[in-house]
Amino acid sequence: MWLEDVWLRYHRRGPWVLRGATVCVGPGEAAVVLGRNGVGKSTLLQIAAGVLRPSRGRVTGRPTVVGWVPERFPADQPFTVGGYLTAAGRVAGLSRAEADQAVRRWVDRLGLGPFHAVRLPQLSKGTAQKVGLAQALLRPPGLLVLDEPWEGLDAGARELVPELVGEVLADGGSVLVSDHRGETVRLPGAREWTVADGSVLERAPSGDTAVAVVELAVPAARVADAVARLRADGHHILRVRGHSDPPTATRPGAGPTSEVAR
Amino acid sequence: MTALIQFRLAGFLRTGRAMAPALAGLLTLAVLYGGGRAQPAEAYGVSAVVLFPVLAWQTKILLDVEPDVQRRLALVAVGPARERAAGLLAAAAAGLGLVAVALVFPWLVGGVVGPTHPGDRSIPVGLALGLWAHLLALPGAVALGALASRAVTRSAGYGVAVLAFGAVLVLVLGRTGSVVPWLAPPVLPTARALAGALSGPAALSLTGWALAWAAVALAGYARARHRRA
Repeated sequence: MWLEDVWLRYHRRGPWVLRGATVCVGPGEAAVVLGRNGVGKSTLLQIAAGVLRPSRGRVTGRPTVVGWVPERFPADQPFTVGGYLTAAGRVAGLSRAEADQAVRRWVDRLGLGPFHAVRLPQLSKGTAQKVGLAQALLRPPGLLVLDEPWEGLDAGARELVPELVGEVLADGGSVLVSDHRGETVRLPGAREWTVADGSVLERAPSGDTAVAVVELAVPAARVADAVARLRADGHHILRVRGHSDPPTATRPGAGPTSEVAR
Repeated sequence: MTALIQFRLAGFLRTGRAMAPALAGLLTLAVLYGGGRAQPAEAYGVSAVVLFPVLAWQTKILLDVEPDVQRRLALVAVGPARERAAGLLAAAAAGLGLVAVALVFPWLVGGVVGPTHPGDRSIPVGLALGLWAHLLALPGAVALGALASRAVTRSAGYGVAVLAFGAVLVLVLGRTGSVVPWLAPPVLPTARALAGALSGPAALSLTGWALAWAAVALAGYARARHRRA
C-alpha cells in the first residue's frame, strides 16, 4: 500500500498537518510510526486506514479488509461487550454464525470472557481497549492499523500485541503501529517512520533485522525443550498452539502440535 | 449495510435520547387532535406539517447518538458511501415508526371522523392520502436532520441553528403566495392540497417536488461529509 505525496489539513484555512508524505508498506510488512505528541501520527494512521481523506495526494493499494484500533475506544455506547462485537462482525460483513464464532474466539483470546455481558460504559480503559482490538480482528485484516495499542493494557495483554501483529504479517497482511513510548522494541524488523514537521522520514530495516515467520510442528512431549532451544538460538517465539486448538482461519495447515517461531 | 442500519437503530433506541422526539411527536399530535374532529385526509396533512421538524430532530439525534470514533470505525468497515446511506436509512426507518404512530393516533383519541357529508372521502382513501402526505414529508425531514447532524455542523449550537432555521423556512416559504416556494420541501402545499380536492397531476407534481428537494439536500449532505472526512 502506498501513500503518495499526501497532504492533509483539517480545515480549509487550517495549518498543514502533513506536507507531502510518501511512504509504502508491503504485504507481510510492519511499520512503526514514531513522533512526539500531536505531531500527526494518528492523522497519518487514519489516512492509511481510510478514516481521513487526504487533502492532496492519494492512497493506493489499500487492502479490502482494514482493521483500525483507535487510540481511545468509544465506550460510550449502549451495548454489552458480546453484543457490540457481534454487531461489529456483522457490519464487517461476517454472517451471524461466522460473527458468533469470531467473537467467541477473540473474547477467549483477549481474556474478555468475564466481561461478555458487561455494558461498554462500565469497562475499565484497558478492557475497553481490548474490545477495540477485538473488533479490528474479527475479520482477518489485510491491513491492521494500531494507534498506541499498548496504552492502558496490562502486562499480559501487552505481550499479546506483538503476537497479534506477527499473525497478521504471517498471513500476508500489513501492520501500522504508532507509539510514543518506545514499546516497539517488541516489534523487531518493523520499518520505522518518524513524523516530524509535517513530513514522514523512513528508516528501513537493515538486512539482518528483517524477519520471517516460520511455523513448525513439534512432538507434544518435546515442546518445552524445543521452545527453550529456539529461544537460546535467539529466535522470538510468537505462540505455541496445542493439538486440540482448531486450525484458525488465519493460519491453516498446522500439524498436531505446532509452534510459531521467528 | 443492513447490519449497520440495525446497529444504529439499536444504538438509538437503547439510549434515553430516543424518548425525547417520540414524546415531542405524541405531544404535538395530542395538541393537534385535542381541538375537535376533522376529516382524515385534511387532519393528516396538518399532522405531516407539524411532524416535519420532529422527524428532522429525530434524525439529528439518531445520527448524533453514535460517538464520532464509532462512526469512523463503521466507515473503515463498510466504506464512506455505505456508511452515510446506512445512517440515512436508519433515520428513515425510525421516521416510519413515528409516521405509523401519527396515522393511528387520531383514531385512538377520536380526532377524526368518517365521511359525514356526501362527497367526503372514504376512510381508506383518507388513510392512503395521509400515508402519502407523511411519506412526502419524511425524505425532506431526514435530509434536514442529516444536514444538522454533528458530522456536518461539528458544533451542537450550529446544528440546532440549522435545524430551527430549516423548520422555520419550511413554514415561511410554504405560505400561500410565497415567492420562492420551491426552496422548501412542499409540506404546507401538500396540507393545503389535502384540504381541498386533490387532482392527479397536482399529487404527482407534489411528489416530484418533495423527492427533488430531498435529493438536492441529501447531495448537499454527501458533499459536506465528503469535505469533512
